[in-house]
Amino acid sequence: MSLAGRLPPATDPVVHLRGITKTYRIGKEIEVHALQGVDLDVYPGEFVAIMGPSGSGKSTLMNVLGCLDAPDGGSYQLAGETVGKLSDDQLAAIRNKHIGFVFQTFNLLPRLNAIENVELPLVYGGDRHGRRERAVGALELVGLGDRVHHRPSELSGGQQQRVAIARALLNDPAMILADEPTGNLDSRSSAEILAIFQRLNAEGKTVVMVTHEPDVAAHSRRIVRMRDGVVAHDERVANPRNAEDEIAAGIGAGEE
Amino acid sequence: MKVYDSFRSALQSLVTNKLRSALTMLGVIIGVASVIAMVAVGNGASAQVQATILSLGSNLITVTPSNLTDQGLRGAGAQSQNLTEADMRALQDQLGDSIRAIEAEQGAGRWQVTVAGTNTNVNVQAVTEAYPTVRDWNMQTGEFFTKDDVSATQQVAVLGATTAANLFGDADAVGQTIQFRQVFGGGAGGQGGAQRARILNFKVVGVLEPKGTTFGFSRDDQILVPLTVGQKILTGRRDIVNQIVVKAIDSDAMQQTTDDTFNLLLARHKITDPVSADFTVTNQNDTLAALNQITGTFTLLLGAIGGISLLVGGIGIMNIMLVTVNERTREIGIRKAVGARRRDIMWQFLIESVALTGLGGILGIILGWSITQAVERIPQAQGLVLLITVGTVAVAVGVSVAIGVIFGLYPAMRAARLHPIQALRYE
Repeated sequence: MSLAGRLPPATDPVVHLRGITKTYRIGKEIEVHALQGVDLDVYPGEFVAIMGPSGSGKSTLMNVLGCLDAPDGGSYQLAGETVGKLSDDQLAAIRNKHIGFVFQTFNLLPRLNAIENVELPLVYGGDRHGRRERAVGALELVGLGDRVHHRPSELSGGQQQRVAIARALLNDPAMILADEPTGNLDSRSSAEILAIFQRLNAEGKTVVMVTHEPDVAAHSRRIVRMRDGVVAHDERVANPRNAEDEIAAGIGAGEE
Repeated sequence: MKVYDSFRSALQSLVTNKLRSALTMLGVIIGVASVIAMVAVGNGASAQVQATILSLGSNLITVTPSNLTDQGLRGAGAQSQNLTEADMRALQDQLGDSIRAIEAEQGAGRWQVTVAGTNTNVNVQAVTEAYPTVRDWNMQTGEFFTKDDVSATQQVAVLGATTAANLFGDADAVGQTIQFRQVFGGGAGGQGGAQRARILNFKVVGVLEPKGTTFGFSRDDQILVPLTVGQKILTGRRDIVNQIVVKAIDSDAMQQTTDDTFNLLLARHKITDPVSADFTVTNQNDTLAALNQITGTFTLLLGAIGGISLLVGGIGIMNIMLVTVNERTREIGIRKAVGARRRDIMWQFLIESVALTGLGGILGIILGWSITQAVERIPQAQGLVLLITVGTVAVAVGVSVAIGVIFGLYPAMRAARLHPIQALRYE
């Protein structure tokens, strides 16, 4: 793990992992050591891409970061709260408060419209006052102010992902956790999504993105590479690609 | 707000797949409807039996002799005495205002009764003057005979509505004379043997209002004559009555009046040990209670049969909810990812299940009611009385909701226990 070129941090990290281990048992005999001692710090306002081949543990790391799964060993502090051996309900509360998920397959509820999808986090926690207005506000932030009553089936892939991002923003979480957010999108929509991430990041939002595509990771400002269950590489991106510029240059114009 | 959200979500789910919701509800609807209809039959039977007993007169206490044989001869016990009119009058004096009325009866057998060209064969009952009061039976025309009629052994008669119609058609029977011809032998005064033919003239003083059929006997096809006339002239059994009937003031007084009657008669018959009483006192309330117990069991049984179909409906609910949970595994994962706790998920599906059964229950009540309405209109089912009470409806609603909770609990808990990661991966 290379810390070369990193300035000493002025604030506490949003994400603080030390010695995280996670082992899965498949069937009765096979043990998979998915994470074998991960140390990671993510500071507020960072834009981190986590990369790695299959089996490197990046999906497991994402699950642990997202409090969807508890680690077997090590410590995890998220926004100052210790996420150790917490109960399922406590983990749910932390997810609700601190994490905004963006998934590869969008994961919107098909029978709800955009507003209802976006306001879902506030159904389960947080201040329910004015959640309608906040949902509309979030949708406007991602450029979908004119489609607030559409169902997911009435939206394109890129639009659905934008609704998902609006939902992720709703509770003002400590970080946005995106799992292959552009995996199901064409080049143009991918660029639009990455542009939104970059814009949010410029405004101070912490974004952690898991991806296997170097082109996508090139838009971030720090790349963490996983290998065999540990962090193998950790470096800043010298010149992040600017998605807005790519859109302006007509990315994806010639594609289907 | 959470509950409201769950309700909205539940209703949304039900509306989304209307066919599935409808078919699932059908089990509960039919189950509830059959319970309602069955219990209505039971309740109706119960009410009918009760009404029948009460149509003989309400708040009645009946005294019958223990050892009365067919011929009116004394039975096995040497000490046993008959019940007499004197007994009745004594009770009347001694009970006084503590009772509403008292009467005594003797069956006078069947007689051939004729009037100018028409004749009919009727049952004749010899009674005392308070009979209408005791039996809650009003006159249609004319009057009942009086105490003087009884004392003076007047040959007057009161006709039942059917008998009057048989003999006189639409004409007024009051004031007319009818003739009694004796049909059976047996003789007067205890002599056996040869048949006799006798003709007796009676003046009709009144006609009773219709009462209908009780336990298979038409009460409108009979003639009432004064007790003394029956005893001295018709049957010859002078010192005997078949029963003494006391009408208590109200239901609360029944027990007291029963005890009073028993004790007074015991003293009159000079019997010290109640066990050797030569008469039996029956309290109508006890009879009603015994019958209610029977009809109550009957109703319960019918309800249980209906309940079986409700059970099947409940199993259908569980089945469909399990399928629904399975289908929406992804959705459950998403909700958990954004912060739904176990109980949030559990409530969501539990409310959906209760909404299904609750709505099914209401529709079932309506269907059950419609069935009773339809059955009542079938001519063949005229004898069947159907009664839906508030209690039945309340129980039906309660049971529907309970079914929703019981059979929806397992699927809801399965949904709640899903692991978000596996749920999100579900195709």
